[in-house]
Amino acid sequence: MFFRMVRGTFVRQWNKMLMIALTVALGASIATAMLNVMLDVGDKINAELKTYGSNITVVPQSSAVISKLYDVDDEDIQTDYIKEEKIGELLTIFWANNITDFAPETDTTVTLDGSEVPLVGTWFNHHLEFKKKGSVYQRDTGIINLRSWWDVGEGEMLNEQAVDGDAYAMVGVELAKDKGISAGDTISVKGEAGSETLTVAGIYESGDDEDEYIYTTLPVVQRLTGSAELMKKIEVSAITSPDDELAVKAARNPSLLTGDEYDLWYCTAYVSSICFQIQEAIPEASATAVRQIADSEGKILEKTQLLMYLITLLSLIGATLGISNLVTSAVMERAQELALLKAVGARNGQVTILMLTEIIITAIIGAAAGYFLGYAFAQVIGHTVFSSSIEMSGMVAFIVAVLIIAVTLIGSIPAIRMVLRLRASEVLHGGH
Amino acid sequence: MNSKRQMFFKMIVASLVRRRSRMIIALLAVVVGATILSGLGLIYFDVPRQMSSQFRSYGANIIFMPSETEGISEEELVQGISEFPASELEGYTPYRYENTSIHNLPITFAGTDFSSVLKTSPYWHINGELPVSDGQALVGAKVAEELGVAAGDSLSAINSFEVTEDMDMSNIPDYEIYKDPETGETFCDHMLDLKVTGILETGGSEEEYAYITLNDMNYLFLSERGYDIVEVSVASSQDNLASYVDRISSSLEGVSAKLVKRVTASESTVLTKLQSLVFIVTAVVLVLTMICVATTMAAVIAERRREIGLRKALGAYNASIVGQFLSEGLFLGAFGGIIGSVLGYLFAQIVSMQVFSSAITFRPLLIPIAIVASVIVTGVACLIPIRSAVEVDPALVLKGE
Repeated sequence: MFFRMVRGTFVRQWNKMLMIALTVALGASIATAMLNVMLDVGDKINAELKTYGSNITVVPQSSAVISKLYDVDDEDIQTDYIKEEKIGELLTIFWANNITDFAPETDTTVTLDGSEVPLVGTWFNHHLEFKKKGSVYQRDTGIINLRSWWDVGEGEMLNEQAVDGDAYAMVGVELAKDKGISAGDTISVKGEAGSETLTVAGIYESGDDEDEYIYTTLPVVQRLTGSAELMKKIEVSAITSPDDELAVKAARNPSLLTGDEYDLWYCTAYVSSICFQIQEAIPEASATAVRQIADSEGKILEKTQLLMYLITLLSLIGATLGISNLVTSAVMERAQELALLKAVGARNGQVTILMLTEIIITAIIGAAAGYFLGYAFAQVIGHTVFSSSIEMSGMVAFIVAVLIIAVTLIGSIPAIRMVLRLRASEVLHGGH
Repeated sequence: MNSKRQMFFKMIVASLVRRRSRMIIALLAVVVGATILSGLGLIYFDVPRQMSSQFRSYGANIIFMPSETEGISEEELVQGISEFPASELEGYTPYRYENTSIHNLPITFAGTDFSSVLKTSPYWHINGELPVSDGQALVGAKVAEELGVAAGDSLSAINSFEVTEDMDMSNIPDYEIYKDPETGETFCDHMLDLKVTGILETGGSEEEYAYITLNDMNYLFLSERGYDIVEVSVASSQDNLASYVDRISSSLEGVSAKLVKRVTASESTVLTKLQSLVFIVTAVVLVLTMICVATTMAAVIAERRREIGLRKALGAYNASIVGQFLSEGLFLGAFGGIIGSVLGYLFAQIVSMQVFSSAITFRPLLIPIAIVASVIVTGVACLIPIRSAVEVDPALVLKGE
C-alpha cells in the first residue's frame, strides 16, 4: 500500500515532482562543478605559474662539502660539474611526476667577430631516455617551456629533435643588433678547443642579460670546449605545494622533525622536499629553491584557492537555500492531500514518512542528474579557462550526496511541522 | 479610477501580508540570487586589481639602466618615478655596485636603500635582520659561505687604490695611507668596519653580493656616483607598463627603462587565466541561481491557481489578474534585489578582507544592475506560470481538480 501511494504520487503529480527534481539537480550541479573546480584549481594555476620559469636550480656541490657530508673518498665523483648522464636521475625521485620541465646548462665564452661572447649549451626540446634498474624513464624536456617569456621575433625557436646534431643556435636580440645577425645567417665562433659554424635558427628577446647570449645545443658546446658531458647547472620547474608550518620547520633542519612529520614532509610536494630528493638522487649536486619563483607561487596559489573556496561557499549557500525553499513550498502545496490522509485515519508518523520518502526519492534522482550536469559544467570551465579537463574527485560525489540529503531533510522540517499541526477538517473544508 | 487603484494596492498588500510564509520563501530566493549577482560581480571586477598587487611578490617589473657611464642621478630617478601614478607604484630601489675585497677575497658590494628593498624584492629570505643604519651589512649566502661569517659577526671592507695628486685625501685617516718604499708611490687602504646583521638567501645571483647603505658606499669608494640600476615595482597592466617605459626612455636622456619580460609577460598570461576563471565561474553560478529563483517563483505562483480561479469566477479580466500577480512579483524582485545587493556587497567585502587583506572597490553601478536583474528574473518567472494559470476554466479549478 505504502509503495502504491508513493508510486501514485509520482504518476499523478509528476510535474510537481519534476520541478523539485529540477531544482535539486541545479543545486547539485552548482555544488559539483564548484567543488571540483575548487579542488583542482591549485594544480591548474600552478601549471600556469610555470610560465615564470624554473623554481629550483641544481648546481654542483663544492668538493670539500661533498667529502665532509658523505665521507666519500671516491675519485669518480665529479664535483665541480654534474655529468649529463646523471640528469636522468631526476625522473626517478618520488615527486618525479611533479617535475614539469628541466634543462641542463653549461656555458663558455667564445670569440665571435673578434669579441668575446657568452655562449650557453642546453636542451631545447630534448628527448631523454634513462634506464635504471630495468625500468626505462622517458621525457621530452628542455628550455622551450622554461623560457616561455622569450619573444622570438625573427626565425623560430630551435627545434632540437629536427636539427639532429647539426650546429644551430639562437642569438639574443642585443647581440644580433650589435653584430648585424639575422635569422638564417651562419656565424662562426671559436672556443678553447675548436671552431664551429652555427646556423642562426632565430633571434629572441628576453628583456634581461640573456639578450647578449648565444644559446645552442650541448654537443656544439662540447665540441667547442673539448670537455664532454659536464653540466654547470640544471634548471628544474616543479609543481609544488605552498609552504606551511611543517615546510618552514623542515627548511630549518629536516633532522629535527619527528618520524611522522618527516614522512609527511617527504611525501608532500614542498619545494624543500623536492630539493632534498634531488640531492638524494644526485649526491654531487646541491638543489636550492629560487625564492623569487617559489615564494611568489605559494602566495598566489594560496590567494587563488582561498578566493575559489569563498566563492564556492557562497554558491553552496545559494544552492542549498534554493533547494530547501522549493522543498518547503512544494510540500506546503500538498496540505490538502496530506490532510485527507489524516482524515481517513493515517497517523502523523505515517504521513511524515510517506512525505519524506517521496521527497528523498525525488532528491536522489535530481542529485544524480545534477552531478552529471555539474561534471559537464566543470569541464566547460576547465576547457575554456585552462584548455584542459578538470579532474573529478570521488570525494565530491560523496559531499554532494550528503549535502543534498541534508538540505532536503532540513527543507522538509517546516512541512513536517505543518503536517503535525494540520487539522483535517479545516483544510478539507477549505477555510484555511 | 482612484478606488480601483486603491483596491489594486490593497490586494497586493493583503496578499503579501496574509501569505507571509510563502512570500518569505519567494523573497529569500530573490535575495540569494541578488546577493550572488552583486557579490560575484564586485569580486570579478576587483580581482585583476587585487591579484595584480599579489603578483608584485615576483619583484620588480621595470628596471632603469643608465644610458651614460656616470649612472642615474637622483634628479633623473625622481623624474622617472614621477611618471608612474602613485596608486600603481608599489616601490622602487636604487642600486650601485662596486668591486673590492674583504680578507683578500674579491667581493662585489651593492649599495642600496634598505627601507624600500623588500618592496621590490619581497622574496628575499633574511636570516637575521635587515640593516637599519650605516655601518651595517646584509651578506649574500654565497659570500657568507666564502668568508665564513654569520649574522652578528664583524667585517672590514678594504678599498685599496693608488693615490694620485688630484685626489682629495683630507677626509681619510692618516694611518690608512702608506708609501711603497721601493717605487715611492702612495697607496691607500681605505677601511670600513661593518656589522653583519643578516644573511641573504634567494637561490639567485643576489647571494653573490654584500649589501650596504648608499652612504657607506659613498664613504668606502670616496665618491658619489649615480645609480647603476633602479628596480621599480608597478602594479599595472602590461600595455600600461610598456607605455610608461617608452615615455621615460624618450623623455629622460640619461635613463633607459626596460620591462623585465620574464615577470611582465608571465604575469599577463596568468592574470588573464585567473580573470577568465572568475568570469566563467560567476557566469555559471549566476545562470544556475537565476533558474533556481525562477523555479521557486513558479512554484509559489502555481499553488495559487485556486485564487486565480476564484477571481475569474467573480468576473476579473485575465489582464488584471496578470497585472496584479506581475506587480507582486516585481515588488518582490525590487525588494529582494535591494537586500541582496547590500548582502552581496558585504560578502565581497568579507572575501576581499580574507583573501587580499584590503577593502573592495565599491562599484555603485552594480546595485541598480542587481536590482533590475532581480526584477526581470522574478517578472519573467511569474509571467510564465500565470499565463498558463489564467487560461484554466474557473469551475474546474474551484472544484479542486
